[in-house]
Amino acid sequence: MNLRRSTIAAAISVLILYGGLLASLGCFLDGAAVWQAARSERTWSAVRLSVGAATLAATLAVALAAPAAYALSRYPFRGRELVDTLLEFPIIVSPAALGAMLLIFFNTSAGDWIQEHLLQFVFSFAGVVLAQFVTVLGVAVRVLKASFDAVPIELETVARTLGATPRYAWFTITLPLARRGLMAAFILAWAKALGEFGATITVAGTMPMRTETLPVAVFLRLASADLEGTVALILVLVTIGFAALYVTRRLLGRAVDA
Amino acid sequence: MLEIESLVVAAGNFRLRDVSLMVAPGECHAVLGPSGSGKTTLLEAVLGLLTPEKGCIRLAGTDLTRLPIEQRGLGYVPQQLGLFPHLSVRDNLAYSARARGIPQAKFQPLLKQLVEAAGLGNLLDRFPATLSGGERQRVGLVRALVSQPRLVLLDEPFAALNENLRRELWWLLREWQRERQLTILLVTHDLAEAYFLAEQVTVLLDGRVAQQGHKAEVYAYPATAEVARFLGVETLQPGRVVSVRDGLATVEVGSVQLTALAPQDLGEDVLVSIRGEDVILQSARGAPTSARNVLVARVVGIRPATPLWCVELDAGFPLLALVTRPAAEEIGLSPGAVVVACIKAPSVHLIGRSAPPRSLALGSASSLSPVPAARDSAARR
Repeated sequence: MNLRRSTIAAAISVLILYGGLLASLGCFLDGAAVWQAARSERTWSAVRLSVGAATLAATLAVALAAPAAYALSRYPFRGRELVDTLLEFPIIVSPAALGAMLLIFFNTSAGDWIQEHLLQFVFSFAGVVLAQFVTVLGVAVRVLKASFDAVPIELETVARTLGATPRYAWFTITLPLARRGLMAAFILAWAKALGEFGATITVAGTMPMRTETLPVAVFLRLASADLEGTVALILVLVTIGFAALYVTRRLLGRAVDA
Repeated sequence: MLEIESLVVAAGNFRLRDVSLMVAPGECHAVLGPSGSGKTTLLEAVLGLLTPEKGCIRLAGTDLTRLPIEQRGLGYVPQQLGLFPHLSVRDNLAYSARARGIPQAKFQPLLKQLVEAAGLGNLLDRFPATLSGGERQRVGLVRALVSQPRLVLLDEPFAALNENLRRELWWLLREWQRERQLTILLVTHDLAEAYFLAEQVTVLLDGRVAQQGHKAEVYAYPATAEVARFLGVETLQPGRVVSVRDGLATVEVGSVQLTALAPQDLGEDVLVSIRGEDVILQSARGAPTSARNVLVARVVGIRPATPLWCVELDAGFPLLALVTRPAAEEIGLSPGAVVVACIKAPSVHLIGRSAPPRSLALGSASSLSPVPAARDSAARR
């Protein structure tokens, strides 16, 4: 088999794998269960919570990742290697362990003080956002760093000789040129946050209408052996995910091309 | 005026050592050197991207060494031009005014003038990616000039262009430089570019200034063998000074003796440097010549090239001559033919083989000449 055929075969096998998984849902698809799930206030609460938390977590992650990635891309500083290595931390450590670490932190005096004086994280919406934010931050930084690396430093230098301060050059030259990376980082972070389960359930628990996100709801339905309900929620999750990604890509894509 | 004094700059494992140069107001100064000689490091230090370990950089009396880039008053055109791809030509050109908060009314007249002079009027709404190489070059130059810099830094800005376009832009830049009295520091490895655009040149080799002075002087009288090689001197042969009398030296080269202007402080062992275009070829029955050195030579080979042909000769030592095609045809040059090669004494330049490199005084072109008498002669020619 030549290279062209073998690589296309690999691409098709990806389609078969994920397509097969989606198709298998059809075995337990029950129209009444889907209708019931679609009408359930609890489902819509989980949808609102998931989309809201994922959007907030992705926005916060990109907002912090953009300057951090720029520093990693441009400036040599003490600890740079360490930061670069730690970006992989959320991937190496399982989400459940990451959530456990957050819980442990909030049991320290510093964590206790934060919860008491600033914001309650454990078993709250803020906890959902925090768990997702911590999970997706590393990926956002990694994607944005690659994007900043691709912007020639020379352009910033020219901008500075034309009178731009470093901040002005960053906002008018670097950031607009890295906009595809910004878009990619946001979409990736948002999608990852939407499907986040392990850290969320560990930090925020499973309180219906308060901290129950769609992945948590799927898990709870499955735990109670309700396969039809599980399939219905998975379909809701998949539909929302794909629809949101499509709309985001269209909107941001138009902004990038403009 | 740009003054660089005893500059020491480290860039990774490379170090620029004790570099001094001066660019007078309204002058174009070229820094010449091969890849890795330190040209870019020098430019980055002037730009403010590298902090010098020692020495200082002054522009119009202001010490730039610790000044942020945006406050240095520089115009910069890098090799890749650095046009902002997401901005239209209009926005590229207006960038400096926006960055400095200059009102439109204040910078528009100059911008309009430069845009017209560069023929960019119908390109203002286009984006850099849609421009040709020459158009991009013009935008880069206009953008650098519209900010009214005190010093323009050019980093091989024409390297990516074809010969015709490059020469066209050389003319444009030289015209602007003279009209607007621009002070320019040009970094290039292209001798022809430096010779066309600059008055003064600095040759950088291995992080050090190897020679400085007026372009004609550096071209004709390289101070060291390394400079001669870099500048592409066609004939560079070892010789021995056998006598010096009345300012003229007799030098033994191969099996013949040549007469050259006698430089001061030169040892017995020398390198004889002769530019190909300074060797005049005549047929064996040619008219008498006033040249001091008249050598009977045999043509070893001919390499036709543009614009000059290179003729390899055995004149008692290997000698290369550059001649025009009509001249070659008129003499009837062919391998094995016997011709007469005439070389004037000032065109035979002697380089000391054991003498240390000549010390260079900041901004003093007259002190840089390896051969004072020869320099006068060159000026007369």
